[in-house]
Amino acid sequence: MRIWRILVAVVLQAAILISRGSIPAFLAVIPAASVALFLETRGDFESMASEMNRKGVKAHAPAAIVGKSGVRHEFAFAVIPETGKTKVVVDTELSVKEVDEMKVLKFYVKVFDVSPEKAILCVCPKLGARAATLAKEYGITVLEDDVPRKLIPMAEDAVNEFVGSGGS
Amino acid sequence: MLEGKKKIFPVHFAPGKKLFHIVVTLSDAPGSLSSILDLVRTKVNLIGTTTYTRSDGTAVFSGFSEALSQSLTPKEVQKLIMSSKAAISAEVYEGKDGLLVDTFHTGFVVGDEEYILMRRDGLVRVFDRVSKMLGSGGDSLLFEEGMAMGMRNSEMMIKNVGAKRVRDQMGVLNRFLSAQGWGILEAKTGPEKDGFTVKVVDCFECSADDSARKGCNFMRGYLAGGARANFGKDYGSKETKCRLKGAEACEFQLTPS
Repeated sequence: MRIWRILVAVVLQAAILISRGSIPAFLAVIPAASVALFLETRGDFESMASEMNRKGVKAHAPAAIVGKSGVRHEFAFAVIPETGKTKVVVDTELSVKEVDEMKVLKFYVKVFDVSPEKAILCVCPKLGARAATLAKEYGITVLEDDVPRKLIPMAEDAVNEFVGSGGS
Repeated sequence: MLEGKKKIFPVHFAPGKKLFHIVVTLSDAPGSLSSILDLVRTKVNLIGTTTYTRSDGTAVFSGFSEALSQSLTPKEVQKLIMSSKAAISAEVYEGKDGLLVDTFHTGFVVGDEEYILMRRDGLVRVFDRVSKMLGSGGDSLLFEEGMAMGMRNSEMMIKNVGAKRVRDQMGVLNRFLSAQGWGILEAKTGPEKDGFTVKVVDCFECSADDSARKGCNFMRGYLAGGARANFGKDYGSKETKCRLKGAEACEFQLTPS
């Protein structure tokens, strides 16, 4: 619900800026499109979680997980079996340009605190060279595609493969 | 909340004033310090002073001062001090353009440990940036760093004064953090068995009113790390009250896990 309010706020703000002539109309589309894309991806993860739950896998989207430090972290998707020990976490980074190392670091510190068996970062369009090196060093599985929606089935396959194989 | 804060003088700014930093090595004879003070106060107004002993038995007097006369020179002050048998050596540094900086000392020592001094707000802003850049992961990072520092500091304290004394004198040792400006800590037992409640008045971590952080994760970790080192078991640490959430003081619950 909060996300929808953000979308409405962004669209209204863009409309005001266009009406004042502050920005060309085509530029105002960018933030609105980003939020819409984010919502769509989020919705897709929710569908993916529902589907997995039907198959008996305890999946959550979005997932709020309290780490070792006691801090609550939010992930786009997570598999948390009855034991309570997080098996898989998935996050997304959508950008108009290459995703930098700070985003990888941001994901990693959450992962470090939660200690899942597998961490997957879905990236659109792709990681920069330094970010990719960092992700590899941290043992993060990176899925990349130019089309955000294609990342969902890729993530689903990766999660299913891991869960199906019995985890680590 | 500046009452109770110790004033120290690595720098002093007083436009239009003639400023001196006087550093005297004193003999260990009784009354050395007072005889030097009696001498210098005829020529300068002392703003802030400190004295400490060295391992060789001599003592050092260091004082920031304002000259009572604009014509007074550092050499005259030095000569005056050296006229006393209490002085082994004396150095007098003059400020420029109303600005006096301590160019004699190169840091701080507490016991055998070196300390650095930094602006409280400077450190708070570092925490703000870590949290902003790394989101919730930044908060957990601050907790981890606090925990590591709490453990290490407590281990050092145990090494220096002994484990039993650390446990028995915890109330007094908490004042050690207070004296360093971390906040005024008051620990009491409970409410859970073997647990503690630690109240921190004027907690440094949430001292900036405009911080976007939601709690004191570094302090929370520090207390958990300290408890672990002191009592040899893991403690869960929860911040139940925080100034960033409108409370007057922060409060932490530490529970054995």
